[in-house]
Order: sequence, then structure tokens, then C-alpha cells
Amino acid sequence: MSGLALRAVDLSKRFGNLSALEGITFTLAPGEVIGLVGRRGSGKSTLLHLLSGIHASSTGKIYVDNQRVNFTGPYQAQRLSIHLVHQEPRLVKRLDVIHNIFLGQEIGWPFGGGLPDWNRMTRRAATVLEEFDLPVGLLWEKAENLPDEQRQIVAIARVLCQPARLLLLDDPLAALSFERQRRLLDRIRGLAGQGAGVIVTGDNLKHLFAITDRILVLYEGRLVADRRTADSTPREIVEMIVGAASQEQVTPIIWALESYHAAQQQAEELRHTQATLRESLEAQDSLNRQLVERLRDQVEALDQLNVALQAAHRRLLTEREQERKHLARELHDQVIQDLLSFNYQLEEAENAEPTTERQKELAAIRSGIRQVVSELRQLCGDLRPPTIDSHGLEAAIRSHAQEWADRNGIALTLEIDPHLGRLPEAIELSVFRIVQEGLNNVRKHAAAKQVHLCVRRTPTASLLVQLTDDGKGLTQPLDLVALSARKHFGLLSISERVALLGGAMQIGSAPGGGVVLQVDIPSPSPSV
Amino acid sequence: MRALSASHSKPSWPGVWQAVVRRQEFGIAVILLALTIILSLQTSTFLTGTNLFNVMRASSWIAIAAFGEAIVIIAGGIDLSVGSVMALAGLVSALTLLAGWGAPLAICAGLATGVAVGFINGVFVSRGKLPSFIVTLGTLSAARGLAFGLTGGAPVRNLPDNFVHLGQSNLPLGNWEVPLPAIAMLAFAGLTALLLSRTVLGGHIYALGSDETAVWLAGINVERLKITVYTLSGVLAAAGGVLMTARLGVAAPTAAVGYELDIIAAAMVGGVSWLGGKGTVWGALLGAMTMQVLRNGLVLSGFPTYWQATAIGVIIIAAIALDRWRAGHS
Repeated sequence: MSGLALRAVDLSKRFGNLSALEGITFTLAPGEVIGLVGRRGSGKSTLLHLLSGIHASSTGKIYVDNQRVNFTGPYQAQRLSIHLVHQEPRLVKRLDVIHNIFLGQEIGWPFGGGLPDWNRMTRRAATVLEEFDLPVGLLWEKAENLPDEQRQIVAIARVLCQPARLLLLDDPLAALSFERQRRLLDRIRGLAGQGAGVIVTGDNLKHLFAITDRILVLYEGRLVADRRTADSTPREIVEMIVGAASQEQVTPIIWALESYHAAQQQAEELRHTQATLRESLEAQDSLNRQLVERLRDQVEALDQLNVALQAAHRRLLTEREQERKHLARELHDQVIQDLLSFNYQLEEAENAEPTTERQKELAAIRSGIRQVVSELRQLCGDLRPPTIDSHGLEAAIRSHAQEWADRNGIALTLEIDPHLGRLPEAIELSVFRIVQEGLNNVRKHAAAKQVHLCVRRTPTASLLVQLTDDGKGLTQPLDLVALSARKHFGLLSISERVALLGGAMQIGSAPGGGVVLQVDIPSPSPSV
Repeated sequence: MRALSASHSKPSWPGVWQAVVRRQEFGIAVILLALTIILSLQTSTFLTGTNLFNVMRASSWIAIAAFGEAIVIIAGGIDLSVGSVMALAGLVSALTLLAGWGAPLAICAGLATGVAVGFINGVFVSRGKLPSFIVTLGTLSAARGLAFGLTGGAPVRNLPDNFVHLGQSNLPLGNWEVPLPAIAMLAFAGLTALLLSRTVLGGHIYALGSDETAVWLAGINVERLKITVYTLSGVLAAAGGVLMTARLGVAAPTAAVGYELDIIAAAMVGGVSWLGGKGTVWGALLGAMTMQVLRNGLVLSGFPTYWQATAIGVIIIAAIALDRWRAGHS
């Protein structure tokens, strides 16, 4: 379909007292693309409305192919294949996209589409939607559900689905994404190549310079310039748009316009990268989550192993204590009794023996046996403090400490909480062993003269054992691993017992130069 | 977009059922069915073939006029002149018959009356940009006055037999004797439904009722469209009027007084939205029949005559309220 020749002569439009357009005269040849620019309210849309029959002009004439036309409604302009795309497209919200695209221009038969041919219309609309990268399914979506950009594309598709001789595009690019803007610009050039005339408005001079043959500038309702695009520069056009001759005013505006469009383009690209970034972030996030999940599984398994290990250790310790108890009882009930009975036999034999020589000998043996018995008793006491079962921790510690002090000749002061009470057997034994090992350590390594032992309940209901000496003190920081490598197990076994009871052990220097061993054990049964 | 492609997949049975339930006509069809069941349980005479055909015959001219009214309401207007047009068209047919015209010509004259009144309505509404309510209120009065003026207030009797047969004869179809008006009603319903749902004009009428400005901007000649809509309403009302005259055998200038309200009620009870853009001819048909069944049932069950109008009013409001409620929940 060939384009039409348009001529507007002295067009004016007044709304009441307000003059929107005055004395517009211009021509458009078939296949020509005209850019219409001007500030907001300069009359761009009003001019397009006059040309498309939405408004009747107040004065002036419009000629199409040298024939005077007088439009009283858009349908008359459309009969001449003059189509307008509005700045804000008005669609019938309740109808779907395909009905909106062909509303008033249905394809069908017999005369002027009395019976619509929806298959043909669907095919034609689908190619346009595909051109703008939209799914064909959109054709059956209600217009009221569309976002702005898609509404604009539907309005554009209305025009592209028709054979058009004159296209009036009122800022069609603003709502479109960067990529679709480019498609539409290509399409406009293509239509012009087929002979259709195009008048397009817009703010982006870069776009207009890319596709137009001429540029018309409106300023406050008047046509102030009609330039060939090739013969003008954006700067010149902007000067006329803002109506200012002075450089100082124009430069910032050009700068602002350019940076505005650059910013728009960048925003579009940013949106793209953001989308891709979000996708990769999501992938990474899910990977991280898997890793964390696996780590948690492993930590849990480790925890379980640890608990099992501790339980095994505790059982081992308990069994060892049982073994010791058993051994102590064996020694006490069997060996010591046997020795004592031998002693009595020897005493009888001694009384029966006449010679004092023999008597002396026997007496010496008997004193030797008594010595052995006493040592065995001592051994039994160490293996299993007899007092701990019957009289409790306090008595056991007291008797052990007394005995230790006597044996080693080291002064020992005791400070035991009178309200210590009874504790579970495992704890009492462990505490006793800790005290025992601690005193052992002092005897072996400290060379102390004065030792202070303190066992008491703390306000938080745990048990505090504090052993202070005035010996050599620590020459170097303690390293339990190194100690155990040299087969010094004393402190190690204390720390193991403390750990099993869930307590804490501290070793530090005493004010007097010795060592302070402090053990804190949480009580499973708080004192009442 | 995924949801979109899914909605175009093969219809499943629950989907079809939902589509049926969501249709505007569903509510009124259920009410009509319920009324039929209640009345056939209460009275032994209701659910006989004869009585059902009587109901259809009695509702036929109201229904045919309601089809035209539905078109106007869907297009976003209202036509109050339908009752007067029915009377005037019947009268013109009767007068031309007595003047010696043949029945087909006389019927055409009656229909032409409807075209004329409808055209006048359309011109004033579109060109004159007047509210349809005011314009058609004027033609309601004008057409009624014309009817009185043409006859001097007296009814026209003694119509030829071949004309009267149209309204009173039955067409034997198998075991049934189907009244001609019932057949005419179904034929008009089918034609109007095809017009609305299958033609470009029908699509434009729905679009006009949805958004007149958008339709105007889309390059549709809205004036011509409105004139077409009111002319269709006029011609359908005239067809109803001619049928009514043939059935009654007499054309009175006082005929069909107040029918416009019954006709509007039939369309709205049938789910034609008074806001425009929504509704179907089948809904209007069901609406007209429901109202007739109600009247018929109230008479058969001995409901006090004076209270019948009240009962019908209550049921109309209930039906429309139900439709609103359904629209709010879909």
C-alpha cells in the first residue's frame, strides 16, 4: 500500500481560552519519517490528535493526497489508513489482547469483516508479538492484567497488524525496554521503506536522529523549525526546544538530556546483569546450603563419637575402681588375715619356745609381719579408701591427708566445707583420686614445706578443690602432651577425671612462689 | 506465561464444570429448575407438556423484547420505550391488515415501526449525546401517544385469521403440539445469540458497553454502532408486539403498559449486567421464562392475587443479589 501525501495548512486548536496550537503548516511526503519534538505542553500530542481525528481543528485545513479532509472522529482517519498510537494507550480492559489488537479493524468475511476470521487474526498478531519477544499466549490475556510495557506493545501491534499509510506515534518508545526500542525503530524505518509516512514524537534525540528524515520543533504551540535531520545537530534542536538562545542555558540541558538517556540505557543493562547475577547467586546459595548441611552432619557424627568415647572412658574408670575395690578387699580379707593368723601362730610358737635366742628371732619376724600388714593396710587404703564408703568424702580426705602429712613430714592445713554432704559415689571417688594425685605430685616434684588443701561448695553449687603449696613452682608453662610423652601421668589423669565430670582445671602460680591447682566440678545434685 | 499456556490446554471435566458454574446464566438456570420442581410437586397440573408450552407461549413476546433490551444494556444503555413500541407495532400491523394489506406486508409494517422508533432513539442518544434513559422515556410516551392517536383510544378487533393463527396455532412436532410463538422465541434467541457472539458487530457491542472511549479511539464509528443497537432493540420489541397482537387477536393502544419493566427485569434477572459489557441472550431467555413460571406457579398454587406482584419483586431482587454475590466470589 502506497503512502499518502499529507499537507497541513495553518492548523490551530483552542481549548476554550487556551491556545494549544497556532498556525501549523507543514507537509509530509510518502515514505517520509518526521520527528516531532518540543517540551511537555508544546502541542505535540494535540497536533497528532488533530491529524488522527480525535479533535477537530479550530481553524486551518488538512489535505490528504490533495483532498481536503474534515475528520469528526478517529474512525474517519482510520478509514484513510491513518493510525495513531497514544502516549498512554487506552485498551478495553475486559477484552483479551487479540480482541484489542483487532478492535474496529477485524479481518473476516464477507463485507468488511461481518464474520470474524480469528485464525487469520491470531496468526498475524502472533508474528508481531514474536517480533517483540512476547509469548503468543499473551493474546488471550485480559488487557487489564498487562503491565505498562506490554500494553504499549499491544497498542503498537494494533497499528502493525494493519496496512498503514500514515503512522502517528506519540512517544511510543518511552515505555519500552532498550532491546524493544531498537526493534521498533527498525520497524519504523522498514515501514517508511515500504512507502508509509511516519510522524513520531519523543524525548530521545538520539533515536529521532537515527530514524527521521526531518525534524519539526514545536514551541508553545508554534512550529519554530522544520529541518532536514541531515542538516541539523542535536544541539541546535535542543536550543529550539527550550527556546533559549544563550549558551549557558542550553549546555546544561543538553548535558542533562544526554546523561539522562545514558543513565536510562545503563539502568536497562544493569537490570539485565542484576537478573543474571541473581540467578548465579541463587545457585551458589544452594551449594553453600548443601555444604553447611554436610558439615553439620559431620559435626553431629563427631559429637556422637565423642560422647561414646567419654562413656567408654567413664566405664573404664568405674571398672578400674571396682577392680581396685575388689583387690583391696582381697588383700584385706585374705592376705592380711592370713598374715595375722601366721603372726598368732608365731606368737604361740614363741611362747612355747624356751630359748630366748629363738624368741628374739621370732619376735623380729613377727614385727616384720606386722610391718608388712601395716604396709598392706596402707596399700588397701590407697586402693580403696575404706572411709569413703562408710563416712564419706570428707572423712576420707581427712584421714588420707593426715596420713600423707605424717608419712612425708610436710605440714598440711585442711579446709573442708562443713556442709559438703554426700555426693554420688563416682564423684566422691573422683574427687578423692584428684586429691590423692595432687598430693602425690606435690610430694614428688614440689619440694614444699607447707601445703594447703581446700574443698568446698561454691555458691553456684559446684565443688571446688584447691591445692596450694609453697614449693619450687613452675619453671615453664605446663604442657600436658609433653608430660604424658615422658610418662608423667599425674596431672594428665587429674585433667581426664575433671573432663569426665564436666568440670574445669586450672594450674597457676601461688603468691608464695608455689603452684595452685584448682578444680571446679559441677554438682549433678545441687545441695538442698 | 506458563499459567497462560496451561489455561489453553485440553479442557478437563472439572474445568468444564467450573466454566459452566461460572457462567452468568448458571444461577438463573438453577432457580428456574428449582421453581419448576417445587411447582410440579405442589400442583399436579404444572409439569404437563401443555402447561409448559403455555408458559413458553405466554413469555414469548416478553422474551423477544428482552433480547433487544439485553443488547442495549450490554452496550451500556437502557431502552424504556420497548413496551410502547410493542403496542404501537401491533397496532400498525392490525391497522394495515384491516386496510387490506396481506399478513406478510402488515408484519413488515409493524417491524418497520420498531425500526423507526429505535432509529430515532439511537440518533438522539448518539448524535444528541443525551442519556438513553431520558431519550427512551420520551419515546415511551411519544409512541404510546401515537398509538392512542391512531385509534382514537379504541381497540382494533376482527383481525384476519391467517394473522391470528401465527399467535394461536401449534406446530405438531412428534408427540408435541408446539406453539408457534414458542418456536419464534427460540428462533429469535438463536439469531440474536449468533449476532452477539459470532459477529464483529456483537464484539463491538460488548466492547462499547465495557469502555466507550476506547472503542471510539479504536476507530469504530460509535454513532452508527449506537443507532444500530437501538434499532435492533426497536425491531425486536416490534416483533414481540406483533406476536402479542396475533396471540390476543386484538390490538389495543393500552396493550403492554408497564411491560418495559418486566422486560428489563427479565434481562437483568438473566444476568445481563446493568453496568454494561456483560450478559447473554440465553440469560435473558431464562430470565423471561423464570418470571413467567413464577407468575404461572403463583396462580396455580392459589397465592393471593394482590400479593403476586410483591412476590415477583422480591424474587427479582433476590436473583440479582445472588448474581452480584457470585460475581464477587468468582
